[in-house]
Amino acid sequence: MALLEVEDLTIGYQSQRGFLKAVEGVSFSLDKGRSLGFVGESGCGKTTLGMALMRLLPPNGRIREGRILFDGQDLLEKTDEEMRQVRWQKMAMIFQTAMNALNPVHRVNDQIAEAILTHNPSLGKQVAYKQVEGLSRLVGLSKHRLRDYPHQYSGGMKQRAIIAMALACQPKLIIADEPTTALDVIVQDQILEEIKNIQKEFDISIIFISHDISIVADVSHDIGIMYAGQLVEYGAREEVFESPMHPYTKALLSSYPTLTGEKAQLMPIPGEAPDLIHPPSGCRFFDRCAGARASCRTNPLVWLEITPTHKVFCYQCGRQCGR
Amino acid sequence: MGNGKQTILELDRIVKRYRTKGFFFGAHGQDVIALNEVFIKILRGEIFGLVGESGSGKTTAGRLIVRLEQPDQGKIYLDGRDITGLKGKASKDYSRRVQMIFQDPYQSLNPLLSVFDTISEPLIIHKIGNAEAREDSVWQAMKSVGLSPPHDFAHRYPHQLSGGQRQRVAIAHAMVLKPEFVVADEPTSMLDASMSAQIFNILLEMRRRLKVTFLFITHSLAAARYLCDRIAVMYKGNLMEIGPAEEVLRNPKHPYTQALMDALPKFVHSGGVKRYETLLQAEREVSGYVGCPFFVRCKVARAPKCSREKPPLKKLDDSHSVACFYAEPGIKTRSGGKA
Ligand SMILES: Nc1ncnc2c1ncn2[C@@H]1O[C@H](COP(=O)(O)OP(=O)(O)OP(=O)(O)O)[C@@H](O)[C@H]1O
Ligand SMILES: Nc1ncnc2c1ncn2[C@@H]1O[C@H](COP(=O)(O)OP(=O)(O)OP(=O)(O)O)[C@@H](O)[C@H]1O
Ligand code: SF4
Ligand SMILES: [Mg+2]
Ligand SMILES: [Mg+2]
Repeated sequence: MALLEVEDLTIGYQSQRGFLKAVEGVSFSLDKGRSLGFVGESGCGKTTLGMALMRLLPPNGRIREGRILFDGQDLLEKTDEEMRQVRWQKMAMIFQTAMNALNPVHRVNDQIAEAILTHNPSLGKQVAYKQVEGLSRLVGLSKHRLRDYPHQYSGGMKQRAIIAMALACQPKLIIADEPTTALDVIVQDQILEEIKNIQKEFDISIIFISHDISIVADVSHDIGIMYAGQLVEYGAREEVFESPMHPYTKALLSSYPTLTGEKAQLMPIPGEAPDLIHPPSGCRFFDRCAGARASCRTNPLVWLEITPTHKVFCYQCGRQCGR
Repeated sequence: MGNGKQTILELDRIVKRYRTKGFFFGAHGQDVIALNEVFIKILRGEIFGLVGESGSGKTTAGRLIVRLEQPDQGKIYLDGRDITGLKGKASKDYSRRVQMIFQDPYQSLNPLLSVFDTISEPLIIHKIGNAEAREDSVWQAMKSVGLSPPHDFAHRYPHQLSGGQRQRVAIAHAMVLKPEFVVADEPTSMLDASMSAQIFNILLEMRRRLKVTFLFITHSLAAARYLCDRIAVMYKGNLMEIGPAEEVLRNPKHPYTQALMDALPKFVHSGGVKRYETLLQAEREVSGYVGCPFFVRCKVARAPKCSREKPPLKKLDDSHSVACFYAEPGIKTRSGGKA
């Protein structure tokens, strides 16, 4: 059974020019112990989606439609108080700006212990501090540095401390929003390894968000490609990479330089993403798509299932398959 | 370095130290050696890549080249002429010929200047052309970086531009003087893949059309491979490996370069099944040693030699040099992994 089921989620922000639809009609499901990665360019709605799942949208943000079923419960039906029981205990998030998420005036071990105790006060201090040591070992943080203050840590160490905090309550789901973007490759690699190991060891589900497709591919079983607030392709990592279907996915893949194979000319995607306050009808990629035809604008889009584990949201893909 | 190409810019055993305030290190502070005897010759018309992790000294090298700072030791030559003591007209002339594009398009542009004024500013400072000729140059520069139609952008201010557009303005600003040498310091690290690809292609096009020489600073090995003819790998201010980009990245010889290759995200870059495994899991505990800068993390290291002596940069062949005692030409580096 799926741990998380998201149905037709539409999220937006009230802005001066009107209602900005940051995420529209997004559906997916995530099983226990699996990881799902969302990729797409800046502003496509990745962080918005993650924040909405945690019900941590800023005051001008609103979930307009849809359902979020987590662990058998409808999160959108919950009161704020009930949501507090779920947040951090059962689902935790590592934020895009995580480096600054530690409190500068408290020692790292005190902060992690407090996270444990807030949600499980009956544990007692001693047990909590023992658990902190266990967690630090898990995320590769030296026990001798636990009594340091955050400013004494390097970026990679801070990120490890934050992962330890996220794990403090043994959540079933972790949402990681660009957790390694500011880090050097060697540290990034070590942290991605930790994340993968922790996932296996505790059978945690992970939603991994990044604009860097190579990082997402490294940790995710399944991949969702987002464009202008919509999911446009979704499937098993291998299938999405080896036979990308959506013109945006193809374009995205050919705009990254690679280290292996022939050195190919990079093909940037021409133009810009559409205005999300007045999004165009039909396919949102229309203006930038090399294979677009007039019918893409006028016909309603439907998901096309290519295999049971790979689907695409493109009118022309459907036509070519004769459906 | 073959091909009969001429050196345009030379860094000759450059040392740059910074004195940090005593914060954790005791009252006197401690020197950070940002560049340690760095020796690089850049050839006219090439794109030379400087790669390395955060703090390896890449930006410092760029800042020394555009004379925002002075080296503590060593000399920098442009066309064989020492630039250290340049004054007056010679100094101004240098600052026209050598330009820098900065990492952060959000900070490098003056928010109070329109796009047009930003790009024409260098022409005014260097008193080049009359108003009409300047306008022409600005339009041309804008077109060459894809800010077109130019009049759509000319009167906008930085806050009315996307990150990619801002970086293009910064490039146009650097290019309008038709410099011969441009330092591009991580010009795309704040941008999306597609926008980065656009900027990369703009730089390649400038090199092709205007024969500009670039020092391209990046921490992305894949970007370096795409753009650069040759690269130098830096670690804590030291030059570890230098050679043709394709050669260094396909056949890295320095244990540190090999560790960088091992750390690339696996799934996408898995074409290189080769694993070098040169990085120690836990750093060595050493204090005050004078040996190889990578010794603390190097699995290949052998005890007294690597901890006591700094390995000199030695040639493996005509174009490929490595600063490691145990990197041998021809000898296959460890290639564990699957058979
Ligand atoms: N608080 C807000 N008020 C108004 N609009 C917002 C707000 N936060 C985000 N947006 C807009 O919503 C859209 C989606 O933003 P979001 O931060 O989710 O994108 P993202 O995919 O995470 O991008 P990035 O890769 O840059 O982090 C963007 O157009 C953004 O400008
Ligand atoms: N003005 C300064 N004062 C003190 N130390 C400095 C100064 N500028 C640079 N440094 C130090 O010099 C070293 C090299 O810094 P530099 O900015 O050149 O690295 P970099 O390779 O450009 O790193 P990044 O990839 O993070 O931009 C670092 O240890 C840095 O902290
Ligand atoms: S010189 Fe020694 S320590 Fe340095 S990289 Fe080579 S083997 Fe490692
Ligand atoms: Mg985001
Ligand atoms: Mg730098």
